[in-house]
Amino acid sequence: MVQAGSMGVPYVPVRGFSGTDIIERRSDTFKIERNPFEQHETYVVAKAINPDIGIFHGLKADKFGNVVVRKGGDELMLAQSARKVIVTVEEIVDTVDPDDTDGWVIPSIHITAVVHAPFGAYPTAAPGYYSADNDQLQEYVDAAQSEETFKNYINKYVHNVLNHEEFLKLMNLTLTPELINA
Amino acid sequence: MTELFDLTLEEHLAILLSRGIRDFETSACGALSFIPAAGMLLAQHTHAPMAEIIILGSRDYSPFSTGKDFHYHAQRGQLDLFHISGIEIDGYGNFNLHVIGDRDNPDVLMPGQYGTGMLYYAVPRIQMFRTEHTPRSFPETVSYKSGAGTSPEGIARRTREVRVITPMCILVLNQETRLLELESIHEKYTPQEVQENTGFDLDISSSIPETPPVTEQEVTTLRQVVKPHMIESETYPDLAAKLIR
Repeated sequence: MVQAGSMGVPYVPVRGFSGTDIIERRSDTFKIERNPFEQHETYVVAKAINPDIGIFHGLKADKFGNVVVRKGGDELMLAQSARKVIVTVEEIVDTVDPDDTDGWVIPSIHITAVVHAPFGAYPTAAPGYYSADNDQLQEYVDAAQSEETFKNYINKYVHNVLNHEEFLKLMNLTLTPELINA
Repeated sequence: MTELFDLTLEEHLAILLSRGIRDFETSACGALSFIPAAGMLLAQHTHAPMAEIIILGSRDYSPFSTGKDFHYHAQRGQLDLFHISGIEIDGYGNFNLHVIGDRDNPDVLMPGQYGTGMLYYAVPRIQMFRTEHTPRSFPETVSYKSGAGTSPEGIARRTREVRVITPMCILVLNQETRLLELESIHEKYTPQEVQENTGFDLDISSSIPETPPVTEQEVTTLRQVVKPHMIESETYPDLAAKLIR
């Protein structure tokens, strides 16, 4: 479990999953153990996960590697658990204000590298920058209905596109002055 | 009576779910759960004005900063009732949100679950629901157990009531036999019809009560109070506009 990884402990007890096929198929990750403080009860325990690399998208970052991510997510937990952390961001700024109210701040001590990747969340949303492109999401859902249409979709938007800039051109996504100057 | 009101399937299930919501309890549903969201709001506007309700992902009914804060709330025992659906629900109260067919070469691969694998164990009362009552939705055993009706002996688990609301009937998990059995059958269906549409054996030898009919108060409150409230509070506004008459 990423949570245990972020805490720096080998496992955490979890109220759940007993009797499921998830436990049966991942016996390397889940065990059932006696609660040492209440001998009559047993708990599922989930092994810590510490990924070699954690990657997530944020809103902005400064040159020190301080990052602002959208509110409401568990990116901090991932950043704390992973050995190396790469963050893509919409915008590079001079300094991230520790009291930034646009999102939640993750201090640079948890971050290894920052990549400027405007529209990195597209076709989903980056709060304060752009909202989700529902037409594009629908196109993906439709394409995912069969192997052939899915292959065409991936070719059109991934394999046949040279790089991120070409992708933005293809999608007609234009950078605002703030994003260009970043 | 359902014909009298020309109920949509969603309205009917929301009304039946609303009846399980209680005053002074905290009830919740996940982030893609229009039907129980409508049901909980209906309960607040009918018999349970003091019910605390949580609709994850909503603007007005989700008092948590992150998903884990909600899960910790449930693990601490502060959630009384949760709503779960599944592509399959079997006679043992297991549900499936992962794959249909061979696990290693599935016919259908689904996105899986976020919190139900925990919440099914941490929450005392569970209302499951399914929009389709057919043998494929209610098989003898699920293709994959994403949540188990029964845990091994000794496991710390809070679940003490599991009810399943379907378009045809209400099932309840018998705490002794650990099997789903009929609690009531909705009007216009016979026990034989329910059995024919269910992939596991139901005991229909004794008489099964009829589900109390939908009342005019439930329908008008859902349509005239809950619907506009959902649209105005941006709680599944598009689905409320479309699925509630």
